[in-house]
Amino acid sequence: MATNKERREQAREERRRAEAEAAEAERKKRLIQFGAVAFFAALVVVAVLIVVSQSGSDSGGDTAIEGAERVDAGLSGVPQDGTTLGDPKAAVTITEYGDLQCPVCAAFSEQVLPDLISEEVKPGNAQLEFKNFNIIGPESDDAAKASLAAAEQGRYWQFIEVFYANQGAENSGYVTDDFLEAVATAAGVADIDQFNSDREDPALDKELAAVQSEASSLGLNSTPSLVVDGPNGTKTLVSPTLDDLQQAIGEVG
Amino acid sequence: MTERTIQRTGAALALVGVGIATYISIADAGGGAPACIAGGHGCQTVADSSYAHMGGVAVSVIGIGGYVSLLVAMLWPGDAGRFAAASLSLIGFGFSIYLTYLELAVIDAICQWCVASAVVITAIFALSVTRLIRFTGAELAAQGRGG
Repeated sequence: MATNKERREQAREERRRAEAEAAEAERKKRLIQFGAVAFFAALVVVAVLIVVSQSGSDSGGDTAIEGAERVDAGLSGVPQDGTTLGDPKAAVTITEYGDLQCPVCAAFSEQVLPDLISEEVKPGNAQLEFKNFNIIGPESDDAAKASLAAAEQGRYWQFIEVFYANQGAENSGYVTDDFLEAVATAAGVADIDQFNSDREDPALDKELAAVQSEASSLGLNSTPSLVVDGPNGTKTLVSPTLDDLQQAIGEVG
Repeated sequence: MTERTIQRTGAALALVGVGIATYISIADAGGGAPACIAGGHGCQTVADSSYAHMGGVAVSVIGIGGYVSLLVAMLWPGDAGRFAAASLSLIGFGFSIYLTYLELAVIDAICQWCVASAVVITAIFALSVTRLIRFTGAELAAQGRGG
């Protein structure tokens, strides 16, 4: 038979157990409530951050065109013939297969191309050709046709470089008629009406399709891909540095 | 693992995150890009993309603010600190997933420093959630047991 002391101890123990269970239940309830609030609040914040990030990335592609003077200065004095830049008698031809929507191509245009032009194209060591190898989306075709229309007025390379300097987010809808006209104007295309008419020419679809076939036959699947061709061979480079290109020129020229 | 160990480890990782974000911010402020190890170009490409800034502010600067907040939350005792750390790290983890998606699917370039930051925030997130689940209401439970 339990003594009074033992009964009191037992009651105290039961009370402690009940309090501990209540505290644990309260703990779990708090975890679920606050955890749910924290989770949904975090979801909202992340969604807002993504929306702000996306809207900020559309800053490229507006009609306030930048970089035209820099592009013009870099191409000054370098002969152009259609899609080709430089001395047509140069021993080495570098063909860049690029997509005007491609940000890596834009980076190449800004970081490598100016030095390549000044160190290899202007002295006559190599000539450059740009071919629109469109892999990103339908807006790439619109941009490509516009560049080919600019070529009709001798401003192909200016158009491409100015486009890259003002490139927007891929497939974001920024390649509008207004944007293309603004780029063309900044690139020095004299007759915008003719430019708009030329870029609607159905023959351009065939021209772009031919480049797709050509790139495919060369095994190209990313941009920018550069084919360096000379009397001593051909080398294909993907997103090369200036050093890579100069080494290739030395090897094939 | 005790809560103190989780807090200290999380705080140390947050300091590493502050360091990474600060380095990227300094490179960006200088008009350049963080240096990629072994001469890769991914860091430059990502830094040059339009996604490197939000509302005119470099994403890396936002990252500094996030990691400093996480450092404070990790060291903050009690349920308030646990929930703050879990919420902030969930935000950081979610946004880091989005940024990684942009690198892989849109920008088509990988910045090693961004990857390092993603690894850090993932580890902090795991620690914060562990702290939240295991130690929420620990003071309440201790009071219950103590009587």
